[in-house]
Amino acid sequence: MPRLDRLPEASRKGLLALPVQANETAPFVKPSRPLAASRLALVTTAGLHRRSDTLFNPGEQTFRVLPIDTPAGEIVQSHTSIGFDRTALLRDLNVTFPIDRLRELVASGVLGGLTPSAYSFMGALRDVAKLEGESGPAVARRLRDEGAEVALLTPT
Amino acid sequence: MLARVLESHGIATTSISLVREHTEKIKPPRALFVPFPFGHALGRPNDAALQHRVLSAALDLLTAPGPVLADFPDDAEPGDEMPGPVQASAVATATSVPADAVAETKDVVRAHAPWLASSLGRTTFGLSGIAAERFPEVVEFLQRFAASGDGDVSGRPSGVSLPAFIRWAADDLKSLYWEHRLLTAPRASGTDIARWFWGETAAGQVLRRVRDRLDASEDLKWKAAAFGVAR
Repeated sequence: MPRLDRLPEASRKGLLALPVQANETAPFVKPSRPLAASRLALVTTAGLHRRSDTLFNPGEQTFRVLPIDTPAGEIVQSHTSIGFDRTALLRDLNVTFPIDRLRELVASGVLGGLTPSAYSFMGALRDVAKLEGESGPAVARRLRDEGAEVALLTPT
Repeated sequence: MLARVLESHGIATTSISLVREHTEKIKPPRALFVPFPFGHALGRPNDAALQHRVLSAALDLLTAPGPVLADFPDDAEPGDEMPGPVQASAVATATSVPADAVAETKDVVRAHAPWLASSLGRTTFGLSGIAAERFPEVVEFLQRFAASGDGDVSGRPSGVSLPAFIRWAADDLKSLYWEHRLLTAPRASGTDIARWFWGETAAGQVLRRVRDRLDASEDLKWKAAAFGVAR
């Protein structure tokens, strides 16, 4: 959002009370090629997965693989919360997982291509130690194997 | 956070941020703050033009010379959704709510197939593991549970605890009601539908009671499920 000053007070206080990692600097690599020649990976922290996958439990630091051609009707979100409205996702997957828009960018030549898989993590994680030490690096290695030069991360 | 991990493994990342205050602290390599409600990272459903503008702004950051946190223009903010979802506690129950939640759900469930046909299969339904046509039975269980704390549903997925199942079932029940409402009022906002559900439906009142029953437990897992059902 929501600009925090427009949220109900309880939501605002809850958000600001969340433990958030504080970092002084950011890691940074320059993309090796222009976007039009790069393969992009879509990575989301919205708790999306295929219907046949195991649901995410709150706080779970694992990931799910979403083959890039998974039909929108086969994707569900087991990250649910009364803190956000799912009406938008019910209407259009792209509002969180912009797969159709990315395909359009590939078709128009703006983007070189997409990796065969997208990756999904649970949202609203408090503890991220395993994500930093295990599941995050595991996905990074998979993405490199799939030829990803760049990644787009979307929340819910 | 995740962006930092991927970037340290050699992948250039760009992220969409919904909470600027958090992103400022975490410092991902490149992030675009968008002034949209949670659940709306790309702006607005079925608005491809806005979604493309957000994407383009996020991808443009990949040419920045160093770490960057940019702001998506304010004037793009969709004005048709509330900044936060409407909670049950903010909606008064109408004077004339249907008495029979099971009969109401039977009627609502009939919208599921037409909804799927109209949405190319897109739905948020499907977390509980119970088929849509069995939801009248699920509502019967939820009523019993709210009244006595007892009961179960046959076919509850193994490995899913009862409070977790109740939470998923409540999410699925909401999805069915949302689909039903969107079929009859395609332009309804999430806020409109939430006011209708909590104020005017029998199922909304059942979920309020389920919440109270879960919340009365001493067990923190049951209390957490209560928080997910209604607030």
